Amino acid sequence: MTVTAPVGSAYRDRVAAALAAGWQARSLYAAADGQLVRIALTAADGRSLIETVAADSDGSVPSVADLVPAMAWDEREAHDLHGITFTGHEPMRPLANHSAPLAEWTVPVRGHDPYQVAVGPIHAGVIESGHFRFHVVGDKILHLDARLFYKHRGLERAAEGQPITAALAVVSRACAACTAANGVAYSIAAEQALGLRAAPQLARARALLVELERVWNHLNDIAAVCAGTGMAAGNAWFLALTEQARRLNASLTGHRFLFGSVQVGGSTLTIDAGTVSRCARELAGLRAAAESGWRELEFNASFQDRLGGVGIVAARDCSRLGVVGPAARAAGLAEDARAVSPYPGHDAFRPVTPENAAGDVKDRLGQRMLELRQAFAILEVLLDQGPLLPAEAVVGDAPGPVGFGITESPRGATTCIIERAGDAVRRVRLRTASYANWPAVAHAAAGSLLPDFPLINKSFELCYACADR
Amino acid sequence: MLTLLRDLRRLRRDLALPRSDRPRSLAIRHVDAGSCNGCEHELTLASGPHYDLQRYGLGIVASPRHADILLVTGTVTTRMREPLLTAYHAMPEPRKVAALGNCALGRNVIGTAANLAGPVSAILPVDLFIPGCPPAPDQIARALLSLIDGSLPAG
Repeated sequence: MTVTAPVGSAYRDRVAAALAAGWQARSLYAAADGQLVRIALTAADGRSLIETVAADSDGSVPSVADLVPAMAWDEREAHDLHGITFTGHEPMRPLANHSAPLAEWTVPVRGHDPYQVAVGPIHAGVIESGHFRFHVVGDKILHLDARLFYKHRGLERAAEGQPITAALAVVSRACAACTAANGVAYSIAAEQALGLRAAPQLARARALLVELERVWNHLNDIAAVCAGTGMAAGNAWFLALTEQARRLNASLTGHRFLFGSVQVGGSTLTIDAGTVSRCARELAGLRAAAESGWRELEFNASFQDRLGGVGIVAARDCSRLGVVGPAARAAGLAEDARAVSPYPGHDAFRPVTPENAAGDVKDRLGQRMLELRQAFAILEVLLDQGPLLPAEAVVGDAPGPVGFGITESPRGATTCIIERAGDAVRRVRLRTASYANWPAVAHAAAGSLLPDFPLINKSFELCYACADR
Repeated sequence: MLTLLRDLRRLRRDLALPRSDRPRSLAIRHVDAGSCNGCEHELTLASGPHYDLQRYGLGIVASPRHADILLVTGTVTTRMREPLLTAYHAMPEPRKVAALGNCALGRNVIGTAANLAGPVSAILPVDLFIPGCPPAPDQIARALLSLIDGSLPAG
């Protein structure tokens, strides 16, 4: 990874040049002392680059949100939580600051008879807390302003000053649904900063964890879309499979959500040969049960009729908004952090996309099944390698003050950046796939019917917890 | 569709869940006051085929106005304190409050003090504490049933 020295006016030009050369912006944040802003970018071959800009004496830096709209939320967050002013980011709407009046954080919507529907922060089901403000005419959504950060616990600040190994808890407990992926992204970043890297056995343990996490999440997400259409039988079936997947997690790692299975600098995860082969058989059974349920969904016309053409985020908009994961692939963008992952089982990994990808609810649902098949196949390869033993990280590139990690979580690419002072964390920035994709939910809602929003939202099934942190 | 219904019936037969012998019911309103989403995922599965809370008369309702129990997850964030109180005050009496998961109980909390209002018991009178990180669906079910049965486990 390359970290550039702070620059002034050249910052925008350098970001623009990197974007023009095909680099993808992954995270933008205020550095530890609040005087620097950094943007992390990755190339298609897996290289990473961090451009740094020093704030003026009045605390301002040039905005890049016009060059790369995907970083708009990042700039709003750095403004609200770290007091950075982004010159050219107009209007700077509050993101994490909840004290601003309504008119400041919503987009003005004018015309004949528009009105607002306020939903949340408490929702009607068993759902995380967040506020949606729909601007509608009749039952058509003109615009959606999402106000998250109700669950902001100040996790990144809580990590500051802690030992690097201990602060892992902060990111892995940010979100139960993405805990393994978040933890692995953190560990990769920490090891890079400490001059370590994962040898094959350690990488195998981590690949196993992120794929197990993907399996239960994707089963859960298929159940959620069934719930969003009122398809009770499909919901019940895929919830039952989610339960089986969580029990499998518990029998492999001792925890239904894989809590405590990821460590920095090594892995203590031990799975004996008998458990490995039993779990391989259980996974095969789970796969068959998922395929059987999926066939039933595919041939259920009234269910399928609810999905097509709803909540479209096309490929061009996905690129512009920086959408990642199943949502981007469902629009035809064959991007996946696993394609450049050095992990065994991810060798020669190729992202799959649906045929005639349109980026609607139907494709996002179908994408989950395509990826489930891949995850089962990867797990088969990983478990076929026999018992899992404890492993240590080995010496890698030279240590440095900053480390960058990326993993493909069930919802897409999640990045973590660590700035360190010795063995302590100075700053950690966790940018999860949910954070990257929330703006796309608002985009998908615009033009849709208000009663379709729960279905559209379920087709993304994003976490609030790991966006709010 | 028939295959799916047949498979579900077979699953239910294999699970052989006992029938409810409780003649009463309780309506639950869940509020996420700042969780990691783990308690929510386990609570969702408590209503799934393996546990089927509904057979005991325990159902999740859409509004606090329909609820007997307020089931709160997470350490209460400063931003969720007011919405939580609003939901509580919207409930008809008698009402009970259950704190679900270690964070809601104030155990092993992670975060910055300035962003956290405290455990649920700092905001509301808690009648039932359900520990765990997160508690498994059957633990959630058993704890909630104790409210119907009238014997509350010690917090």
